[in-house]
Amino acid sequence: MAAAQDRAAAVFHSEPQSRNLRSFDYIWTTIRDKHWDPKLGGLDWQSVRDELRPRVEKTATPAEARPILQEMIGRLHQSHFGVVPSDIYQDIQEPSGQIAPEDEGWTGLDVRVIGGKALVTSVDAGAPAYIRGVRPGWQLLKIDHAPVESLLEKVNTAYWNSTMRGLLLARAVLSKLNGRVGTQARIEFLDGAGKIVETDIARTRPSGIQSRFGYLPACYVRMESRRLGGNIGYIGFNFFLAPAAVMKKFEEAVKSCRQCPGIIIDLRGNPGGIGAMAIGMAGWFINQPNQQLGAMYTRDATLHFIVNPRLETYGGPLAILVDDCSASTSEVFAQGMRDLGRARIFGIKTAGAALPSVFERLPNGDGFQYAIANYLSKGGKTLEGAGVVPDEEVKLSRAALLEGRDPVLEAALRWIQAQSTQNGSGR
Amino acid sequence: MIAKKASRFLIAALTIEWALAGGSSRAQEKLPAAETVLDQYVEVTGGREAYKKIHTQITIATMEFVGKGIKATLTSYKAIPHNSYNVAEMQGIGKIEQGTSGDIAWERSPLQGPRVKSGEERASALRDAALNAEWRELFKKAEMEGVENVGSRPCYKILLTPAEGSPETRYYDTKTHLLVKVNKVVKSQMGEIPAEVTLSDYRDAGGILVPHRVLQKGLGQEFLITIEKIEQNPEIPASRFDLPADVKALLEKSGAGGN
Repeated sequence: MAAAQDRAAAVFHSEPQSRNLRSFDYIWTTIRDKHWDPKLGGLDWQSVRDELRPRVEKTATPAEARPILQEMIGRLHQSHFGVVPSDIYQDIQEPSGQIAPEDEGWTGLDVRVIGGKALVTSVDAGAPAYIRGVRPGWQLLKIDHAPVESLLEKVNTAYWNSTMRGLLLARAVLSKLNGRVGTQARIEFLDGAGKIVETDIARTRPSGIQSRFGYLPACYVRMESRRLGGNIGYIGFNFFLAPAAVMKKFEEAVKSCRQCPGIIIDLRGNPGGIGAMAIGMAGWFINQPNQQLGAMYTRDATLHFIVNPRLETYGGPLAILVDDCSASTSEVFAQGMRDLGRARIFGIKTAGAALPSVFERLPNGDGFQYAIANYLSKGGKTLEGAGVVPDEEVKLSRAALLEGRDPVLEAALRWIQAQSTQNGSGR
Repeated sequence: MIAKKASRFLIAALTIEWALAGGSSRAQEKLPAAETVLDQYVEVTGGREAYKKIHTQITIATMEFVGKGIKATLTSYKAIPHNSYNVAEMQGIGKIEQGTSGDIAWERSPLQGPRVKSGEERASALRDAALNAEWRELFKKAEMEGVENVGSRPCYKILLTPAEGSPETRYYDTKTHLLVKVNKVVKSQMGEIPAEVTLSDYRDAGGILVPHRVLQKGLGQEFLITIEKIEQNPEIPASRFDLPADVKALLEKSGAGGN
């Protein structure tokens, strides 16, 4: 009986150790086989394994193994390679993994973490949250009785030095807000008057076009094009996806704006999608052939993001709006257009997540993030881990949101109006 | 960031190339001459006369990105000498069209709109579109490189060099004489992409043996093309190969004109 107990105990204790070793081996092999530079910048990867693996053999929990895994990855001295604790991995993943696409619901709220506070930045008109009277600028205090502050603290601690922190903070909050259609989120807000408001908000099917691309989670693509004051064109969209619909609408928007004094493309909150869409969109603003937004370096090839000028291009001022939730294709587009001297960028620094990076769950439950390519903009700038720094840094604030103002958009409008005045074009 | 790079792959892989060899049977250190191996392939897949009878072709296939859940249906129309129109309906992307008409090679997609191909990419597209062409018309040189195993099968390794563009290496089974693998560099506007194409499941299609399973690997991804149907010498109206209006307009803008 005692022997059996000992055996059971041994199995119990060896299992986490085995999972840690398998996690170590998985990371080591993945980097060896998938990193864009097979020489890893001259790093002796075998020696790294020989040195660190024995230390993982002595660990009993994921928490003990994590610093060693991080140390191994840290030897690369590259961003967007990392290990995240399992609970945070869950927090930053959308809940859609467990929900069928047709059952995925939202509250209609978009959120950013500004000044350490989770603020509503937009409310979809017609969504339950809008009907409940929730407005931009309201602060989220609790979601389903769980304090938002502690959620933010966890993510902040794990990603304190990452350019992706803003993106992951917003994603962590949104993953708690979103859920199965028909369920409700009980949310405690601090409203515009400083009063605590607690309300149940039903999760409904998100607005927009449902885009399915392979095994990626379903995304709802929302696109808006309209005219602002002074006949300035505005185009905003939340994903570079659903190309058949989005590219057509984009084309219509640009074509109908040929006489506009300027066009604003709003990529705030846009995490990217299909890279070729950025190239196709750039073609409406670049009239010279053989221009490129940048190049992606994979293990096997270098892919140049060459722009094909459209038949008739728009030559007026172009403003691009970004924030810390603009990532990947959004960053490639913004930085590339600026490098080509074709756009001015407004907002705050982007997520610095330009590469096709992958999040995977390790055998010990932790998350493993790695990038499979490198990207350099036309101007030779690395976007990964750095982000796109706007020409004009403009921040959102709770006060501005509560007033119904958008300081970033306002700055872009001012610049276009100034261009128009200087050129005397009035287009 | 995905998809654009795939379109060039899949259309190229749809192409059922064949090679008509010349007559040389000069041996190189007990190995057959490259020309002989190419000739044997033509013979075992139907013979020179059978190929020469093909003037038009329609191929219908499916394509999937292995392990990604992305699928496409593919239809390819070809007519001698090298007119082609290929259309892929890809889930999540829409319709990607490519074609060759006369000496012009073009592409249009929801992602990037219309464009006209040039340089090696154009040369490669015209080569892929060639129906019923002698290999000497497509490649200026064929060299025997030895015997190498593909899986467990010994294969003749032949290096084929086109008049314009990078050489490609083909592997012909020493026993069946069938083409089982091609290593090449796919030319696209984005750059040069090394690709490995594995061909299998040879079946009769109007008197010619054609591989019905084509697996293409490149950039860490795999595309599996499964041919559903091949029609030899169907009626295809000449207008099928007309340049789309926006491609024609691009040519006119660039001063190259259209046809």
